[in-house]
Amino acid sequence: MRISVIIICFVFIWCIGTSAAAEPRAGFVKNVSGEAFIERNKVLTAAKVKDELMENDVLVTGRSGSMGVILQDNSVMSIGPNTRLAISKFAFEPADEKLSFTAQIKKGTMVYLSGLIAKLNRSGVKFDTPTAVCGVRGTHFAIKVEEPGI
Amino acid sequence: MRIKKIMLHLVLLVILLSGCASTTQVVILPDPDGKVGTLEVSNVKGTQTLNQPWQATESASMDKAPSEPNILEEKQVRQVFREALEAQPIQPVSFIIYFRKDSSALSQESIALLTKVMDEIHARKSTDIIISGYTDAVGSVDYDRRLSLQRAKAVADILVAKGIDRKNIQITYHGKSNPLIPTPDGVPEPRNRRVEITVR
Repeated sequence: MRISVIIICFVFIWCIGTSAAAEPRAGFVKNVSGEAFIERNKVLTAAKVKDELMENDVLVTGRSGSMGVILQDNSVMSIGPNTRLAISKFAFEPADEKLSFTAQIKKGTMVYLSGLIAKLNRSGVKFDTPTAVCGVRGTHFAIKVEEPGI
Repeated sequence: MRIKKIMLHLVLLVILLSGCASTTQVVILPDPDGKVGTLEVSNVKGTQTLNQPWQATESASMDKAPSEPNILEEKQVRQVFREALEAQPIQPVSFIIYFRKDSSALSQESIALLTKVMDEIHARKSTDIIISGYTDAVGSVDYDRRLSLQRAKAVADILVAKGIDRKNIQITYHGKSNPLIPTPDGVPEPRNRRVEITVR
């Protein structure tokens, strides 16, 4: 009885492990400076060059940090200090017409140069901030979200 | 007593208002090749469209539409976004190398093109190079899969011989799938006999 319970637990853990590994990546970290982190499942880890990025990752920088990333559709995105940016949705499978990227910027500065998703899907790229939604059509732009100072 | 009460309420109100919302500023930047795209900035109260370089709009609350776009000074924009701009990676670049039918040999022009590929790899200190092989629709599925892999490998081998770490190269092969120019099966098309190289 006890042995079968242990086996089931192991199988369960193994299944979770492999399915997580099988998730497609959204991109990777190209460069890092100062305090730069990736928050995944609420765990904050220091970001390193070549780190893989997944959907739902949050890019976080401290007072003196910045980070540049390349996404799977060859768009590039970079953030300055005191920034919090979540990759809330990323799907890039042109053969299945899955072309979608949504980022949420809570605060900070960000620059984005669009790639294939914006090129192939007019409504595919969206940036959300606390006070606005940006629909992107093949372009290069910057967003600054300033939190209210009290 | 009453004045104090009013002042307290006023102070609370001010705090509430300033605590209400962040300010979002959105600025269009010119593309590396000088062109400019389009951006729509919306909140529940309205939308602004940006389509000129350095054009910007602000959304400071959910009660007012984003502001009328105005053109900002380039110098100021570069100052506000300095760190993010400095951290911006060079956009990935792609190359195509073509092949004669049934062949995975590179022409002289192709080999010369690989010098440009090397330059781009070095400029980016790239550790992510994707080499994808393809064929046209002539040949069996199996034959074309093998040929497309041979083509990709031929290109990868040259880059490795020129000093690129094989660990940084990812090879994919597609046989006759994903043609650049769709054709019926069995129809030759030189533009599909190719290898695509993406340098990130």
